[in-house]
Amino acid sequence: MSVEVLVSADDLTEMVDQVWLSYLDPEGIDPLVATGDEKQPTEVHAMVSITGSWHGHLVYASSTAAARKAAAGFLAMTVDEVGEEDVTDVLGELANIVGGNVKAMLPDGCFLSLPTVIMAPESASHHPSAHRISGLYGQWAGEPVSISMWQSVKPEAGK
Amino acid sequence: MRAMVIDDSRAMRMILKRIVAKLNFETVEAGDGQEALDLLATMTEVPDLALIDWNMPNMNGLEFVTKVRADARLREMTLVMVTTESEQNQIVRALAAGAHEYVIKPFTEGAMIEKLALLGLVPSGASS
Repeated sequence: MSVEVLVSADDLTEMVDQVWLSYLDPEGIDPLVATGDEKQPTEVHAMVSITGSWHGHLVYASSTAAARKAAAGFLAMTVDEVGEEDVTDVLGELANIVGGNVKAMLPDGCFLSLPTVIMAPESASHHPSAHRISGLYGQWAGEPVSISMWQSVKPEAGK
Repeated sequence: MRAMVIDDSRAMRMILKRIVAKLNFETVEAGDGQEALDLLATMTEVPDLALIDWNMPNMNGLEFVTKVRADARLREMTLVMVTTESEQNQIVRALAAGAHEYVIKPFTEGAMIEKLALLGLVPSGASS
């Protein structure tokens, strides 16, 4: 049975702010602005899974434009120079960084998977027996970006 | 001076390369621990510094640190873990295995340079 642990939207916001200041917005002039719009459309997403004493997933999703802008920021290139490999690499690293920091808030004995990147809307991925426990939904330069956390619920023995 | 950047993320390798380039390091890079060891085996001059991710395919950063510390030829290399693994017990494991310093992602350029300065790896006159 997974241990019940909540990583709040505020926790995710704090981690994401650090990521933005470190890599995507060092001047602090172009932050991710929370909107709370859980239904905003996304076009690409990256995911890391957490296993061990807690089971779940951390999902980073955005529009293609926001993903390309993130890749350009990480790789010090213009958006026009960004290729698909750049996008997948950077989205995977973003999920890895946030997921790794989330893992530190969970009970000891958790393991982080390598990231998976899917060039499709977040809705294309299904997390069986998992439910969303928190999420940060916002806009970055007018483009949708979200980070959500999903907890897997293991069925009780005999059910 | 020369640095080896070991991370399966090309984006993170690029960020780290940019930082150490400002400190006048020449850089070589590898995508995992095994690739780094293979590369080191071909090098006549051992890098002064290795910046090492933890979670990588093939060989993770902790295994790499352990193997480097067991190799007398590589013992002068300064090893810095650069990772999202931020739990205290993981930090202790890395330092016990032989890492000299530990940087948690995300990090700012300034924070990384401060860590390297503490290790005496920031030449006078280099960017800070």
